[in-house]
Amino acid sequence: MKTRILENFTVVFAWLAGLVLLSGVSLLLGYLFFKGHASLNLSLIFGDTPPLQALLLKQRVFEGLFPAVAGTFVLVVLSIAWAIPFGIATGIYLAEYAGPRVKRVLDALFDVLSGMPSIVIGLFGFSFAVFLHKHYSDRIGPCLLISSIALSFLVLPYIIRTTQAALEGIPLNIRLTALALGATRLQNIFLVLIPRSVSGIMSGIILAIGRCAEDTAVIMLTGAVASAGLPRSLFSQYEALPFFIYYISSQYADSEELMQGYGASIVLLFLCALLFVTAYGIRKGLSHFVFYRP
Amino acid sequence: MTEAIKIKVTDLSFSYRDRPILKNVNVDFAENSITALTGPSGVGKSTFLMTLNRLWENLPDADMTGTVEIKLQGRFRNVYAPTMSVTELRKMVAMVFQAPNPLPMSIRKNIAFPLKLAGEGNREFMAHKVEHALRMANLWDEVKGRLNDDARTLSGGQQQRLCIARALVLEPEVLLLDEPTSSLDQTSIAVIEELLLGLKDRLTILLVSHYLEQVSRISDTIVTFDDNTIIS
Repeated sequence: MKTRILENFTVVFAWLAGLVLLSGVSLLLGYLFFKGHASLNLSLIFGDTPPLQALLLKQRVFEGLFPAVAGTFVLVVLSIAWAIPFGIATGIYLAEYAGPRVKRVLDALFDVLSGMPSIVIGLFGFSFAVFLHKHYSDRIGPCLLISSIALSFLVLPYIIRTTQAALEGIPLNIRLTALALGATRLQNIFLVLIPRSVSGIMSGIILAIGRCAEDTAVIMLTGAVASAGLPRSLFSQYEALPFFIYYISSQYADSEELMQGYGASIVLLFLCALLFVTAYGIRKGLSHFVFYRP
Repeated sequence: MTEAIKIKVTDLSFSYRDRPILKNVNVDFAENSITALTGPSGVGKSTFLMTLNRLWENLPDADMTGTVEIKLQGRFRNVYAPTMSVTELRKMVAMVFQAPNPLPMSIRKNIAFPLKLAGEGNREFMAHKVEHALRMANLWDEVKGRLNDDARTLSGGQQQRLCIARALVLEPEVLLLDEPTSSLDQTSIAVIEELLLGLKDRLTILLVSHYLEQVSRISDTIVTFDDNTIIS
């Protein structure tokens, strides 16, 4: 009897917990759309500039979110581009090459890195920019390049961990298949083990994309500003959606500006959704491609 | 033993996580014959096979002492000598596992995979080798029309013959089989036994098997393992 109650209680509790989570998310999204839907239109993004002219970079956008959207997009792509090669290589090393002692030390270090508050990483990026400014060139300061490098540190642990876990989860008989056919260690990793792990590795990358798109603490210290126009080069300052939202919410002048903040939040959600869908598409296509390429 | 010797194993001991699996194994295997390795589970038969192609080196916490000499390309060579390339060794001493393990790619690519590993790039040559290997494994007639299908769509018995074909494509001198028929039905088993008998004049076959009937049907010599060593 007692166990029956416990069994039932567990199920009820699990349902309740799921329900709380679900209602939390829908409340948040509902509130956002309720407040922000009125400001959702093309002029929110492009201001008074004709959209086509803006997209072709023929005319500057002054009163819209377009520079911030472009800034966030470029920032995410750059950060992920830095983090992928280092993250995957480290994951491969930890799973396939590291001895037990090295592994224990590195595991601890990456745990520390993944628990690092983003403001500390922002501070690191900022100090790095100041160092470069002092010792190398007056022209280097907080900029897109520094931000994306700092962000890639922030998301590196996700990619390392998922790569490592995906590789370590491969059963022994599959590990031995290619080796028994005369594969070298490297051939085995690149022709059998990595293709089998693509799906897991992409999940890490998808997590990392979300983190890069939303993080504010790192970028506000390393180069994001309220008004800069479209990002012109790696060494320029830039606008970004999360920074814009933070900026508006802390110092809006009237309700119209606040509405812009809600609009920007919705745009950021859509941008993330777009990046996720792209990553899912790549994941599917890639795992198909690696095994069936002609 | 009157036939020429192919494999000489001397004082072989093997341990896994400090637990002895094999102790002082001394045994010879004759050329161009089928030798069955039998005995109860867990006495190290599969491990023994892995000491012949050095595959155990990929297992963590394993350790081995003793020597293994195999007559490769006409002369006896110590497979653990520093000059022995492990990838070259595994091309000459091929292995087929208990469960069929086709890679998740087409039938053609599965068979061509070892050739690609060896750096072969000539398509025509590879197509020829693929056909030859599939014919040796008695699989060609069943799959010649669908070489580009996923290998995992084949039946269990066909998959295992595919794995044998894949092991044969590099023309090894020794073929190690670790209970290759234990997951198959009677008809598939008969097909594979037939196939092994046909391969005997080209190469030396070592077969781990639990089935005494199978052993007596196809093997020339029987080696029985017990208590971590060979008793006959």
